[in-house]
Amino acid sequence: MTFFAPFCLPFIIGAAVMFTVLLVKWGVWLYRLPRTDKMTILRGIPTRRTPQAVGEVVGEALLHRSIFRVDPLLGYMHMSLAFGWFLLIAVGWIETVAYLGLRYVPLQGHVFFKYFATGLEHKPVFDFVMDLLLLFVLSGVALAWFKRLRSRALGLRRTTKHVLGDRVALSALWFIFPARLVAESATCGLYGGGSFLTGSLGGWFSAHLSVPGLMNLETAAWWFYSSCLGIFFVAMPFSRYMHIFTEIPLVFLRRYGVRSGEKASSMDQFQTQACSRCGICIDPCQLQSVLHIDTVQSVYFLRDRRYGMLRPETADNCLMCGRCAERCPVHIDLNTLRLNSRDALRNLPDERRYEYLRGLDRSSGSGKVGYFAGCMTLLTPRTLAAMERIFEAAGDAVWWADREGGVCCGRPLKLSGETDAARKMMRYNTDLFRKHGITTLVTSCPICLKVFREDYDLEGIEVLHHSEYILRLIRAGRLLPKHDATRFTYHDPCELGRGSGIYDEPRAVIEALGELVEPSETRENAPCCGSSVANTAIDDGAQLQIARAVAAELEATGAEVIVTACPLCKKAIGRGAQQPVCDLSEVVAQRIG
Amino acid sequence: MATINFGYTISKPRAIDMDRNNLRKSDEILREMPELQACIGCGSCTAVCTAGNLTSFNFRRVHTLIRRGEYQGAYEEMNKCMLCGKCRLVCPRGINTRGVAMLIKRKLGDNRS
Ligand code: SF4
Ligand code: SF4
Ligand code: SF4
Ligand code: SF4
Ligand code: SF4
Repeated sequence: MTFFAPFCLPFIIGAAVMFTVLLVKWGVWLYRLPRTDKMTILRGIPTRRTPQAVGEVVGEALLHRSIFRVDPLLGYMHMSLAFGWFLLIAVGWIETVAYLGLRYVPLQGHVFFKYFATGLEHKPVFDFVMDLLLLFVLSGVALAWFKRLRSRALGLRRTTKHVLGDRVALSALWFIFPARLVAESATCGLYGGGSFLTGSLGGWFSAHLSVPGLMNLETAAWWFYSSCLGIFFVAMPFSRYMHIFTEIPLVFLRRYGVRSGEKASSMDQFQTQACSRCGICIDPCQLQSVLHIDTVQSVYFLRDRRYGMLRPETADNCLMCGRCAERCPVHIDLNTLRLNSRDALRNLPDERRYEYLRGLDRSSGSGKVGYFAGCMTLLTPRTLAAMERIFEAAGDAVWWADREGGVCCGRPLKLSGETDAARKMMRYNTDLFRKHGITTLVTSCPICLKVFREDYDLEGIEVLHHSEYILRLIRAGRLLPKHDATRFTYHDPCELGRGSGIYDEPRAVIEALGELVEPSETRENAPCCGSSVANTAIDDGAQLQIARAVAAELEATGAEVIVTACPLCKKAIGRGAQQPVCDLSEVVAQRIG
Repeated sequence: MATINFGYTISKPRAIDMDRNNLRKSDEILREMPELQACIGCGSCTAVCTAGNLTSFNFRRVHTLIRRGEYQGAYEEMNKCMLCGKCRLVCPRGINTRGVAMLIKRKLGDNRS
């Protein structure tokens, strides 16, 4: 057997182009990784992380477990295409071995085996299995067609709008398997073989077509099949389907501990190109659901960034609430990518900035416990007063970092892309904390909390959100708030919940005061108040619209008091709510006699 | 005659000649952020300003002067802003003042855009 026919050419060329481009891309990205990241990878390879990564690749890239969690039908669609195709290749390879023994067969020999195997004695088991797998994949293709028409049925309200390269690849992909079915059936019609799918269709062909007609159909169908494959392979590295192969190295790199940071790096390539543009990130975005803005969501942001057409309007228009990242089946670090895009667009290293910080110290009091109100808490004096009462009741001596005005934590600057300027704030505040020798740092602002925990070097100083601190006091019996029949509801601030993983502490504090009723979307799915400092693109009216939507959900619980644990959330939701919105510290302070 | 010191002074009278000032940058800024025209000059942004609390930086003054075509020193002043966003929360006209701060810096200093 020669394993060559002219129709194989489109496939061979396509596959060669694809593998070359893939290898070049991966090579360049890996080569450009910072040295430290390369070392991290080398150290990670001989550890448990490698088999773990293999497991994750199977679970996610092939079986798409995360998508099943979004919607079972959508998960099935992705799985049947990915896993089904994989099985067709794997079983196809076994089939070749079963027929020919272990000998070298060129790639096209495996792929077009049915065409070349006509002279061999048939093995019905393989015919059956291969037909079954083809049916499995075809069902996924059918669902994909169906999804174009009726996306809601697959749990998506909006689907992604695609670029040209995607359309070419997508059209080719849609025809690959139907073409394969016709081609294999035509061959079966001429030479026998095949099972319930290709066999039956082949029988039907030979009953309705003349032999020369069927031979023409066979040639045409194999050419078409091979061309679809070829076109798909050539378009693949330049389209969304690049994700198929990018997700694999991404999983490994992530397992080894390589991360994207506030400055763009080569790791970002692995992340942006691992996005399949599945569009799952569109629905959770409140900019879409409340404001009907549909050009800025993560899927579009990544697409624009990948093709070098990212505009500041898109990069800036995001609340960085993290709701999309929470659902992304590829677990792309969406907020960090958005952040380093902003850095690339806006960061201006200017050494002379913030000279006025030198020697500044407006702090007051003294104690091992430091309290950092943060800009936003200074705008919500009730929170500040409540904290004062709580510290007093607990008998903790407190050093007030910024009650008389202080320096911002730096996170708003960082979120706006001015990462170098933000470092100046961070250095200033770190020095201030060290100078006053505190061992615990309490803040009532989740925005500050996040930056203290992630960007500051505060070894030896324990950083606590006030919800954690208050809960500790209650558990230690140092704070004895009265419990009554009040019904509270709680809004999870993004930076506290999704941002810092603090969901239970505020809830435990509320339960010590009264009854807690949860709104419909809560914890990981909690909405953003709309006033996030990360977004400088939407206007006041838009912020208010989001706040109203969030407040309506909270009020629908029938709770008497809306509680949150972020000064900005309090202000934002307060604008949209009919009833007052309180900070956690306020409701505690009211109940400590 | 010796002047009596009352403990305060009066600013020197000063006129801005809008016909002589170059309003190109100002127009650009207002085109991108038209809502700034709704400013009533109340000064709330300055009153709560984190940077203004620590320095002589006066946000209202900076954005008002820029709108009148007076750019001198404005970029350096604006760079004192920490982008904390307090001003935006108190502005009675709902102006996206944080966006204004970033826009001013982009238009006046950063030549890359
Ligand atoms: S970012 Fe994630 S959720 Fe959004 S389209 Fe890409 S892969 Fe899907
Ligand atoms: S982080 Fe929030 S606002 Fe930004 S794209 Fe994701 S869901 Fe939308
Ligand atoms: S203010 Fe609260 S809800 Fe709004 S973005 Fe910040 S943390 Fe999220
Ligand atoms: S964002 Fe800038 S101008 Fe506004 S209050 Fe903060 S420091 Fe002042
Ligand atoms: S708070 Fe608003 S209206 Fe008042 S001066 Fe500042 S920008 Fe103008």
